[in-house]
Amino acid sequence: MAVAEASQSLTIDDRETEGKGINFAAERLAQEARQPLSFSGSRGTQDVTAEFAAAAKQLPPGQLVKDEYFTLFEAVGALEIMDPKMDSGYIPPGDSVEPGFDVCLGLPAEEVIWIMDELLRLTIVWHDGYPLSQTVYPSLHVDRLLSPDNKAPYTFSFGDSTDQYVETEERLVHVVLRAFCVALVKSCALVLHTIQSQGFYEEEDFVTHLFGRELLPGTGADEALRLVDEAVRFVEEESELDKDMRSALSERLQFVRLYVSLLMNDIDDWTDMTAMDEIADTHALARARPEAFSDKVQRQLATSTPPRPMVPITWEEAHQRWLQLSADITEAGDLTDYDVCQSPHGLQRAIWVFVYRNPTPNTFARAYLQNILFAGEQVTEGITFFDLMLTDMRDLVLAGHELADPQSFVVEMPADPRHKCSRIMEAFMDKAFDEYMNLYRMVCQNRCRIRRTFTQSVGILDNLERDAQRSDSELDGVIGGILLPTEDDSALIALNPLTSWTKYHKLLVMSWTIQLGFETDIYLPHETGMMYWYLMVFAQRRRKLLEHIDRFTSARVKNLASSGDVRPHADAVVSLDWLAVLRKEVDLIISLSSALWQLNTALAMTKVIEAPKRDYAQEQLLYDVRMKSYLGIAHDPVPSLDEYRDAEQSIRSTDEACVNVDSAVKDAKACLAELKKTTSKQGKYFGTENEWKREMKQLETTCVAVAVQTFQLRSTAYKHGQHSLKGIVEVRVPPPGSRYHDWWPVPQIKIKEKIAVV
Amino acid sequence: MADTMASVESTEAAEHLEGFLNKTLHLHITDGRMFVGQLKCTDNERNIILAMTHEYRQPSQVDVKLAAERHEKAGKSGNVKVDMKKRFLGLVVVPGQYITKMEVEG
Repeated sequence: MAVAEASQSLTIDDRETEGKGINFAAERLAQEARQPLSFSGSRGTQDVTAEFAAAAKQLPPGQLVKDEYFTLFEAVGALEIMDPKMDSGYIPPGDSVEPGFDVCLGLPAEEVIWIMDELLRLTIVWHDGYPLSQTVYPSLHVDRLLSPDNKAPYTFSFGDSTDQYVETEERLVHVVLRAFCVALVKSCALVLHTIQSQGFYEEEDFVTHLFGRELLPGTGADEALRLVDEAVRFVEEESELDKDMRSALSERLQFVRLYVSLLMNDIDDWTDMTAMDEIADTHALARARPEAFSDKVQRQLATSTPPRPMVPITWEEAHQRWLQLSADITEAGDLTDYDVCQSPHGLQRAIWVFVYRNPTPNTFARAYLQNILFAGEQVTEGITFFDLMLTDMRDLVLAGHELADPQSFVVEMPADPRHKCSRIMEAFMDKAFDEYMNLYRMVCQNRCRIRRTFTQSVGILDNLERDAQRSDSELDGVIGGILLPTEDDSALIALNPLTSWTKYHKLLVMSWTIQLGFETDIYLPHETGMMYWYLMVFAQRRRKLLEHIDRFTSARVKNLASSGDVRPHADAVVSLDWLAVLRKEVDLIISLSSALWQLNTALAMTKVIEAPKRDYAQEQLLYDVRMKSYLGIAHDPVPSLDEYRDAEQSIRSTDEACVNVDSAVKDAKACLAELKKTTSKQGKYFGTENEWKREMKQLETTCVAVAVQTFQLRSTAYKHGQHSLKGIVEVRVPPPGSRYHDWWPVPQIKIKEKIAVV
Repeated sequence: MADTMASVESTEAAEHLEGFLNKTLHLHITDGRMFVGQLKCTDNERNIILAMTHEYRQPSQVDVKLAAERHEKAGKSGNVKVDMKKRFLGLVVVPGQYITKMEVEG
């Protein structure tokens, strides 16, 4: 699982462990294990109050007596007792220990409706990552069901039968509200199960902590549904409530029944969750009973962290979030359906499109999507992960070639070259498997983690290139290399399919890390220009690689046309079309990043953007830190700081920069015009057509914005003689979320009004 | 001379306190709660850092009443045993000013 893999690359910071590293931690654990822990009340204790106090007084102020393995770094995480912000057990003077509300009391329908609605509101807040202790647990009815003193069948009277409650208002609580609460708690258990079976980040995305409680282990989800059905029967047939109340209660019961059934996978149409709209319509019938909820439950919960600040959301906002959740999950199913999965590139795009929905799908929705793809052995009917990777290799570098033909892999004759080659391919694919699957899995995480993981992938893919080269050599040994003469016919070059494939993904991931860096706002204003330059360089290298691959695929198309192999020929033609689209896409990146690099350079030349004054910083060191993840690349190392500086200095004036920007923008627009004409088959964006169109528009707007800003800068520079425009021009980079395209920050130029000095 | 005496005393005091490190302490505080955990750190103000701490609270009147009711319903007679309420907290720091009593186990 990706999270586990990512955690393998964690290192122990020597500072925290006072220079003792992993052995230190091991010793410490052993030491703690040796200490017998006994919480058996006051057996065998000695009163040391006086002697301890006396000894403590003798210490000089500020001196600590502490265990040698206990670090002050840890001490910061200690809960301070009697501090109301940290001590959940602190009872303010005058406050009662327990909330005074009796959960066994009958309640009128209006109040039961309110409690149910409040629980629905709090459940969706829990989905957003707030702990149960601050969302669902403060319901006193839920708290009673989950009480350690309660047991199956979990009633409000500690497991006793509910037959004694005969009044309508009592049955509304003990039959109806109870069924609702039991079902809701089981839904939480099911949601947790899905989330925890896939990749997510605890505390960042979601809090799975149960605070020492269990979620009704003695009752299954089926039993919960049965209770709900009984409750509906009571409401409709026995309650003798008026029509509005009856339907309001039934709707809520049916909603929670639907939700649990969906989570159990008994049914799978999440669009039915729009039933939430009907509940919203009857929300006005509810009458508040706030005493049924209390934060005081936190005093009884096992918790090692203080309560986190919460932003309250309104009922209406909660309603919208429920609708959003159901829409996201429905979309997750559509984006990963059989047809989309036929193309690995299409599936990758679909996952990106999913997580870039606005608002971003919550942790459960993203876990749900991961579950569809990764829970079993196949991403969809008939396509294993192996099939996916092989198709990826075939689509990109080996269309129509025997090496990537699935039929080659089932040849059993050991002497057959196809058998030998397939084993070599499999061995390589084994090595590449984890990083390849990360291309799908990691995209489901939060943005910052996507960037960070792919930053680490760069090094891993670079190492994988070495393995690819070895495997390509082995393949050469069996079938000879896939060769073509060079342009001038002086030598032969080899395709080296596995190396090319690996290198392509490495370069792709390198581009992503920069663009995600723009999106997560990690670069200072004066660094943006340099990062755009590197983005351009990475894209140029990817372009060259695509040209290299294209030569071979073109040659193969010609050969297959004359050989009469229909299927491989068709595959190769499709691949050729796609390679053309990829080249256009990468040309767009080259042009646009060139434009933005030069615009930023112009702003630096006119001193509108400047590096902050740093007395002790050295440029090379700052560069090394910023470029750390790329500096380790052994295969085609990235250009050095000096090479970047040379490139910068090749631009001789602000005016020249602006002219270049205009030219690059023109090229970018031309690429966009071409791309807009591609079909979803050519571009492999089947299933994400709307997003494709929308992104084209955003990129067009970005191009226009770049041109406009450049024009402004150029004319201002012209007016003022092209020297320093500091104080005359101000620049502001829109933060992520307010850009035309979050991967392309465009500086916004503002010309300060000159205040006339009279 | 007075300085050397003071530092000898403070060294002895530190050694004496070191003897309590990693032992399980029961700390009773002003509001009636008790904290049981391993001593990790202390200072001259008697602030105590405990690890693996459990908080114990005397049962409230409501708890006693409910326990008595359940006792009766189960048909038992005689005295009712009501456990102290216990929950796990982990790492805590108890400011010295709130400590009313300290006990060490073992």
